[in-house]
Amino acid sequence: MMMLDSIDELLVHIKEVQLDVIELSNESLMKMSSFMEKNGLEIDEDISTALQYQDIVTQQLNASIEAIDSMKKSIEIFSHAFKSDEGLANESLAKLQEKLTATLQEAKDKKSRFSGKHAPEHAEDEIEFF
Amino acid sequence: MPLVIFVDDSETALASTRMSTNSMPIEVKQYTEAQVALAEIKAGMTPDLIITDLNMPVMNGLEFLKELRAFPATSRTPTLMLTTETKPELKQQGKALGLTGWIVKPFNPAQLKQAITRVLRLPA
Repeated sequence: MMMLDSIDELLVHIKEVQLDVIELSNESLMKMSSFMEKNGLEIDEDISTALQYQDIVTQQLNASIEAIDSMKKSIEIFSHAFKSDEGLANESLAKLQEKLTATLQEAKDKKSRFSGKHAPEHAEDEIEFF
Repeated sequence: MPLVIFVDDSETALASTRMSTNSMPIEVKQYTEAQVALAEIKAGMTPDLIITDLNMPVMNGLEFLKELRAFPATSRTPTLMLTTETKPELKQQGKALGLTGWIVKPFNPAQLKQAITRVLRLPA
Protein backbone atom coordinates (compact mmCIF):
# COMPACT_ATOMS: atom_id res chain seq x y z
CA MET A 1 0.00 0.00 0.00
CA MET A 2 2.97 2.31 0.58
CA MET A 3 3.72 1.98 -3.11
CA LEU A 4 0.25 3.18 -4.06
CA ASP A 5 0.62 6.19 -1.76
CA SER A 6 3.89 7.06 -3.53
CA ILE A 7 2.24 6.72 -6.94
CA ASP A 8 -0.59 8.95 -5.74
CA GLU A 9 1.89 11.60 -4.57
CA LEU A 10 3.74 11.39 -7.86
CA LEU A 11 0.49 11.89 -9.81
CA VAL A 12 -0.35 14.94 -7.68
CA HIS A 13 3.11 16.35 -8.39
CA ILE A 14 2.85 15.75 -12.15
CA LYS A 15 -0.56 17.41 -12.21
CA GLU A 16 0.78 20.48 -10.38
CA VAL A 17 3.71 20.78 -12.79
CA GLN A 18 1.37 20.51 -15.77
CA LEU A 19 -0.95 23.21 -14.40
CA ASP A 20 2.08 25.48 -13.91
CA VAL A 21 3.24 24.84 -17.49
CA ILE A 22 -0.23 25.75 -18.82
CA GLU A 23 -0.26 28.98 -16.83
CA LEU A 24 3.30 30.01 -17.70
CA SER A 25 3.05 29.22 -21.41
CA ASN A 26 -0.21 31.18 -21.59
CA GLU A 27 1.31 34.13 -19.74
CA SER A 28 4.40 34.06 -21.92
CA LEU A 29 2.49 34.14 -25.22
CA MET A 30 -0.06 36.67 -23.97
CA LYS A 31 2.84 39.01 -23.10
CA MET A 32 4.15 38.61 -26.63
CA SER A 33 0.74 39.22 -28.24
CA SER A 34 0.10 42.27 -26.00
CA PHE A 35 3.44 43.70 -27.11
CA MET A 36 2.57 43.13 -30.76
CA GLU A 37 -0.88 44.68 -30.45
CA LYS A 38 0.42 47.66 -28.47
CA ASN A 39 3.04 48.35 -31.14
CA GLY A 40 0.74 47.67 -34.09
CA LEU A 41 2.88 44.81 -35.36
CA GLU A 42 1.36 42.59 -38.00
CA ILE A 43 0.90 38.91 -37.29
CA ASP A 44 2.34 36.41 -39.77
CA GLU A 45 1.78 32.69 -40.15
CA ASP A 46 4.65 31.73 -37.82
CA ILE A 47 3.51 33.96 -34.96
CA SER A 48 -0.09 32.86 -35.44
CA THR A 49 1.01 29.23 -35.31
CA ALA A 50 3.06 29.88 -32.15
CA LEU A 51 0.02 31.39 -30.43
CA GLN A 52 -2.16 28.48 -31.47
CA TYR A 53 0.38 25.89 -30.36
CA GLN A 54 -0.16 27.20 -26.83
CA ASP A 55 -3.82 26.20 -27.20
CA ILE A 56 -2.77 22.73 -28.38
CA VAL A 57 -0.30 22.40 -25.48
CA THR A 58 -3.05 23.40 -23.02
CA GLN A 59 -5.53 20.90 -24.43
CA GLN A 60 -2.96 18.10 -24.44
CA LEU A 61 -1.96 18.80 -20.83
CA ASN A 62 -5.59 19.14 -19.72
CA ALA A 63 -6.34 15.75 -21.30
CA SER A 64 -3.46 14.16 -19.39
CA ILE A 65 -4.61 15.91 -16.18
CA GLU A 66 -8.03 14.30 -16.72
CA ALA A 67 -6.26 10.94 -17.07
CA ILE A 68 -4.34 11.58 -13.84
CA ASP A 69 -7.58 12.42 -11.99
CA SER A 70 -9.19 9.25 -13.33
CA MET A 71 -6.16 7.12 -12.32
CA LYS A 72 -6.13 8.65 -8.82
CA LYS A 73 -9.81 7.82 -8.42
CA SER A 74 -9.25 4.19 -9.55
CA ILE A 75 -6.32 3.84 -7.12
CA GLU A 76 -8.45 5.24 -4.28
CA ILE A 77 -11.23 2.72 -5.01
CA PHE A 78 -8.68 -0.11 -5.05
CA SER A 79 -7.07 1.06 -1.78
CA HIS A 80 -10.46 1.23 -0.10
CA ALA A 81 -11.40 -2.31 -1.25
CA PHE A 82 -8.00 -3.61 -0.18
CA LYS A 83 -8.29 -2.09 3.29
CA SER A 84 -11.85 -3.32 3.88
CA ASP A 85 -11.34 -6.89 2.68
CA GLU A 86 -7.96 -8.25 1.64
CA GLY A 87 -9.74 -11.21 0.07
CA LEU A 88 -11.07 -8.84 -2.56
CA ALA A 89 -7.62 -7.56 -3.39
CA ASN A 90 -6.98 -9.80 -6.39
CA GLU A 91 -10.34 -9.01 -7.92
CA SER A 92 -9.86 -5.30 -7.24
CA LEU A 93 -6.37 -5.38 -8.69
CA ALA A 94 -7.72 -6.82 -11.94
CA LYS A 95 -10.37 -4.09 -12.06
CA LEU A 96 -7.72 -1.46 -11.32
CA GLN A 97 -5.56 -2.69 -14.16
CA GLU A 98 -8.54 -2.64 -16.53
CA LYS A 99 -9.42 0.92 -15.50
CA LEU A 100 -5.85 2.17 -15.84
CA THR A 101 -5.49 0.59 -19.29
CA ALA A 102 -8.76 2.21 -20.45
CA THR A 103 -7.70 5.59 -19.03
CA LEU A 104 -4.35 5.38 -20.78
CA GLN A 105 -6.00 4.51 -24.09
CA GLU A 106 -8.44 7.41 -23.77
CA ALA A 107 -5.57 9.80 -23.01
CA LYS A 108 -3.68 8.55 -26.08
CA ASP A 109 -6.76 9.04 -28.27
CA LYS A 110 -7.12 12.60 -27.02
CA LYS A 111 -3.46 13.28 -27.74
CA SER A 112 -4.08 12.42 -31.37
CA ARG A 113 -7.47 14.19 -31.57
CA PHE A 114 -6.26 17.44 -30.00
CA SER A 115 -3.13 17.83 -32.12
CA GLY A 116 -4.86 19.61 -34.99
CA LYS A 117 -2.62 20.22 -37.99
CA HIS A 118 0.40 19.53 -35.79
CA ALA A 119 -0.36 15.83 -36.32
CA PRO A 120 1.44 14.67 -39.52
CA GLU A 121 -1.74 13.02 -40.87
CA HIS A 122 -3.58 16.37 -40.73
CA ALA A 123 -0.72 18.69 -41.71
CA GLU A 124 -2.24 19.33 -45.13
CA ASP A 125 -5.84 19.82 -43.94
CA GLU A 126 -7.53 22.78 -45.60
CA ILE A 127 -10.62 24.67 -44.53
CA GLU A 128 -13.59 22.42 -45.21
CA PHE A 129 -16.88 24.04 -46.22
CA PHE A 130 -20.04 21.99 -45.90
CA MET B 1 -19.71 46.69 -40.71
CA PRO B 2 -20.61 43.00 -40.36
CA LEU B 3 -20.28 41.66 -36.84
CA VAL B 4 -18.10 38.56 -36.39
CA ILE B 5 -17.96 36.88 -33.01
CA PHE B 6 -15.19 34.53 -31.93
CA VAL B 7 -15.72 32.09 -29.07
CA ASP B 8 -12.71 30.27 -27.67
CA ASP B 9 -11.62 29.44 -24.12
CA SER B 10 -7.99 29.97 -25.16
CA GLU B 11 -6.80 33.58 -24.76
CA THR B 12 -3.89 32.96 -27.11
CA ALA B 13 -6.18 31.58 -29.83
CA LEU B 14 -8.36 34.68 -29.46
CA ALA B 15 -5.29 36.92 -29.68
CA SER B 16 -4.31 35.14 -32.88
CA THR B 17 -7.77 35.55 -34.49
CA ARG B 18 -7.96 39.18 -33.32
CA MET B 19 -4.57 40.08 -34.84
CA SER B 20 -5.29 38.09 -37.99
CA THR B 21 -8.50 39.99 -38.73
CA ASN B 22 -7.71 43.52 -37.48
CA SER B 23 -7.27 44.88 -41.01
CA MET B 24 -10.61 43.49 -42.25
CA PRO B 25 -13.74 45.63 -42.65
CA ILE B 26 -15.54 43.79 -39.86
CA GLU B 27 -16.48 44.42 -36.24
CA VAL B 28 -15.09 41.73 -33.94
CA LYS B 29 -16.35 40.62 -30.54
CA GLN B 30 -14.63 37.85 -28.59
CA TYR B 31 -15.82 35.55 -25.82
CA THR B 32 -14.03 32.96 -23.72
CA GLU B 33 -17.33 31.26 -22.77
CA ALA B 34 -20.03 30.16 -25.22
CA GLN B 35 -22.79 30.64 -22.64
CA VAL B 36 -21.87 34.34 -22.31
CA ALA B 37 -21.99 34.84 -26.10
CA LEU B 38 -25.32 33.01 -26.20
CA ALA B 39 -26.77 35.24 -23.48
CA GLU B 40 -25.78 38.34 -25.46
CA ILE B 41 -27.32 36.90 -28.62
CA LYS B 42 -30.54 36.16 -26.76
CA ALA B 43 -30.45 39.73 -25.44
CA GLY B 44 -30.43 41.09 -28.99
CA MET B 45 -26.92 40.89 -30.46
CA THR B 46 -27.12 39.80 -34.10
CA PRO B 47 -23.79 38.50 -35.41
CA ASP B 48 -23.31 38.05 -39.16
CA LEU B 49 -20.79 35.26 -38.62
CA ILE B 50 -19.93 33.10 -35.61
CA ILE B 51 -16.57 31.36 -35.31
CA THR B 52 -16.34 28.99 -32.37
CA ASP B 53 -13.95 26.53 -30.79
CA LEU B 54 -15.22 23.02 -30.09
CA ASN B 55 -13.63 21.87 -26.83
CA MET B 56 -14.64 24.33 -24.15
CA PRO B 57 -15.70 23.81 -20.54
CA VAL B 58 -19.35 24.33 -19.53
CA MET B 59 -20.73 24.59 -23.10
CA ASN B 60 -18.82 23.06 -26.00
CA GLY B 61 -18.98 24.24 -29.61
CA LEU B 62 -21.56 21.68 -30.73
CA GLU B 63 -23.84 22.44 -27.78
CA PHE B 64 -23.46 26.14 -28.58
CA LEU B 65 -24.32 25.48 -32.23
CA LYS B 66 -27.42 23.51 -31.21
CA GLU B 67 -28.59 26.45 -29.07
CA LEU B 68 -27.89 28.88 -31.93
CA ARG B 69 -29.94 26.81 -34.35
CA ALA B 70 -32.83 26.61 -31.87
CA PHE B 71 -32.91 30.41 -31.50
CA PRO B 72 -34.83 32.12 -34.37
CA ALA B 73 -32.42 35.05 -34.84
CA THR B 74 -29.41 32.74 -35.33
CA SER B 75 -31.08 29.67 -36.80
CA ARG B 76 -29.36 30.38 -40.13
CA THR B 77 -26.36 32.49 -39.10
CA PRO B 78 -23.17 31.20 -40.79
CA THR B 79 -21.04 29.41 -38.21
CA LEU B 80 -17.52 28.05 -38.55
CA MET B 81 -15.85 25.61 -36.15
CA LEU B 82 -12.21 26.50 -35.41
CA THR B 83 -10.68 23.62 -33.52
CA THR B 84 -7.81 21.21 -32.93
CA GLU B 85 -10.32 18.35 -33.34
CA THR B 86 -10.06 16.27 -36.49
CA LYS B 87 -12.51 13.47 -35.67
CA PRO B 88 -14.80 12.83 -38.71
CA GLU B 89 -17.79 11.93 -36.46
CA LEU B 90 -17.64 15.37 -34.85
CA LYS B 91 -17.51 17.05 -38.26
CA GLN B 92 -20.59 15.05 -39.24
CA GLN B 93 -22.41 16.14 -36.09
CA GLY B 94 -21.58 19.76 -36.92
CA LYS B 95 -22.71 19.34 -40.50
CA ALA B 96 -26.01 17.83 -39.36
CA LEU B 97 -26.55 20.90 -37.16
CA GLY B 98 -26.04 23.23 -40.13
CA LEU B 99 -22.41 24.16 -39.55
CA THR B 100 -20.95 26.22 -42.42
CA GLY B 101 -17.41 24.89 -42.27
CA TRP B 102 -14.57 23.35 -40.25
CA ILE B 103 -11.12 24.89 -39.77
CA VAL B 104 -8.36 22.88 -38.10
CA LYS B 105 -5.91 24.74 -35.84
CA PRO B 106 -3.32 26.03 -36.20
CA PHE B 107 -4.94 28.12 -38.93
CA ASN B 108 -3.09 30.29 -41.41
CA PRO B 109 -4.13 33.97 -40.97
CA ALA B 110 -4.50 34.44 -44.75
CA GLN B 111 -6.79 31.41 -45.00
CA LEU B 112 -8.90 32.58 -42.07
CA LYS B 113 -9.33 35.97 -43.75
CA GLN B 114 -10.26 34.25 -47.02
CA ALA B 115 -12.84 32.10 -45.25
CA ILE B 116 -14.44 35.14 -43.57
CA THR B 117 -14.38 37.08 -46.87
CA ARG B 118 -16.05 34.16 -48.61
CA VAL B 119 -18.78 33.56 -46.02
CA LEU B 120 -19.61 37.25 -45.61
CA ARG B 121 -19.22 37.91 -49.36
CA LEU B 122 -16.88 40.82 -48.69
CA PRO B 123 -14.99 42.40 -51.59
CA ALA B 124 -11.80 40.36 -52.12
